[in-house]
Amino acid sequence: MRALGLGVLGTLLLRASLCGQDNPRVAEAQTVLAQLVETYGVSGAEGHVRDAVKRLLPAWAQTETDTAGNLWVRVGKGDPVVVFVAHLDEIGFTVTNIRDDGALELQTRGGFFGSLFEAQPALVHTDKGDVPGVFMPRDSGATRHTPPPLRVDVGTTSRAATLARGVSPGTTVTMPKQFVRLAGTRATGRSFDDRVGCTAQLLALRHLDRAALKHQVVFVFSTREEIGLEGAQGAAAALGTAPRRVHAIDTFVSADSPLELVNFAAAPIGQGAVARALDNSAITPPAYVDSLVQVARARGVKLQIGTTNGGNDGSVFTPYGVVDVALGWPLRYSHSPAEVVDLRDVVSLADMIQAVAETW
Amino acid sequence: MTDTLLTLVPGSTRDRAGNVTMSLGKGAPKRLVACALDEVGYVVGNITADGYLTLRRVGAPPQPLFDQQLEGQRVTVFAARGAVPGVGAVRSTHLTRGRIGSGTPDPVFTVDNAYVDVGAASAAEARALAIDVLAPVSLAKRPHLYGDRLLAAPAAGRRATCAALAAALQAKPAVRGSVVAAFTVRSLYTTTGLQAVQRLQGPFDQALVMGGVRGARGGGAAADTLVLATRYTDTAVETVSLKDADALAQRLVAWMEAR
Repeated sequence: MRALGLGVLGTLLLRASLCGQDNPRVAEAQTVLAQLVETYGVSGAEGHVRDAVKRLLPAWAQTETDTAGNLWVRVGKGDPVVVFVAHLDEIGFTVTNIRDDGALELQTRGGFFGSLFEAQPALVHTDKGDVPGVFMPRDSGATRHTPPPLRVDVGTTSRAATLARGVSPGTTVTMPKQFVRLAGTRATGRSFDDRVGCTAQLLALRHLDRAALKHQVVFVFSTREEIGLEGAQGAAAALGTAPRRVHAIDTFVSADSPLELVNFAAAPIGQGAVARALDNSAITPPAYVDSLVQVARARGVKLQIGTTNGGNDGSVFTPYGVVDVALGWPLRYSHSPAEVVDLRDVVSLADMIQAVAETW
Repeated sequence: MTDTLLTLVPGSTRDRAGNVTMSLGKGAPKRLVACALDEVGYVVGNITADGYLTLRRVGAPPQPLFDQQLEGQRVTVFAARGAVPGVGAVRSTHLTRGRIGSGTPDPVFTVDNAYVDVGAASAAEARALAIDVLAPVSLAKRPHLYGDRLLAAPAAGRRATCAALAAALQAKPAVRGSVVAAFTVRSLYTTTGLQAVQRLQGPFDQALVMGGVRGARGGGAAADTLVLATRYTDTAVETVSLKDADALAQRLVAWMEAR
């Protein structure tokens, strides 16, 4: 009993030293984010994530789902319309073929290093439920970092046996994932890109002062961002020239890591939300960056300004004359199974969204 | 591992070398059955000013891509006050675009490039978690069941072998003569825990050593060896069949009973 008691005490002390006592905002961010991170939704199969977002919305929120699978929440009335968009999907694979030996051939959905999935547990997301398997290690070419195209072994030895488990071409595949707290207010998991964006929009909606809105604000939870901003293209076409601004709420891929060059993307984690002023898809007009900074200062929200790589959903609104003022949070190790965030940045991002909606 | 075994196998004890052993029966013949507890892994080599842990490998890499399995994956740091979760740092996919062309060298990741991120922002924060140089580090272990009772995990073969030996002891076999069952440490070094068992409790008339244990001798005669079949060996999804592990446990009972 004494040993058990000391063990429990040790565990409690360790947890206290790892995380301390969270403030209520950080605790709320974790509660929402953990649920979204532990839900699976490869591009084109976002249904479970969309359902989770619906469950986490405030009771007053009315939702619509369009033919592209985007989830819409409209708040307030009048022009100019302002849009926020965060994407529901995550990187992964789809099954392209089942071999005679029962193994699955795969196509990637989104961009990432194949080595991060090689020789890792796999989950095949069938209509009957998740079928576990493993991403097979390569059997040759061990002098290269990059593996050949990956396959999954679900423990069967024939095509018929694999089909009997409900696996078929088009089925999506990921690896198991878990939200795990690290030291302080940091956390790790897979698909923080862009479940953090979705979380920030949800938190902003929960705390929004709807009476303060001077115009309509549209919150879009978009689909298929990782494979070419496809869902956002549908939303942009539907809204046309009506919006004044769009705020893509997506990852600011940070060089805050010992393995990165810091000639750009130098936004440390834990230092607040980031104005994603330049990426590979869009540039924010400097005057709009200045306005964003003024909004942050007026509300006392921590905001960094940076340039990074990648594309964002807001860029597909710009052909309609809509200004893309992208916002993000700093993320380490993007598109890996071990992405790292600081939960204080999630809170800052939510506060920025709320401030922009209410005051700009 | 040894603490867990002492709980799983009532009557077992830890010797001065760290091995867990259990003696069954009396008299001759005196036989030894052993499995190895350890695995190739890492210890903290240094803590950087910004709180990252660098690593030193313990044991030779069993395959060229062994270290690469750290990259971008969850790890566990066994600090003085308990397990601390962390991740192996990896370059962000987005930030490598435009830098890596088709003709660019594509070297395998090695431990020399490994940085473990436990969420600490400084060396002091890492040390506040009771992490220091020499703290053991391994891939986070989440055993994964798939197919027809297949189990995938790092070092699954070694663990399943020792689990089979523990299960055989739990079955309370009617031993012929005497048997020393040993769960041995440091199999990956020249001086092994098995040698200590042989010197402390031998000589043995017969030995059965499971897995690839160095110095597999029974205190005079060469030992018989027994290996549990594995698939995807020495990877994070090293796979064993639990049916095979059950069969091994039964075979060990029969061996102890000299059937």
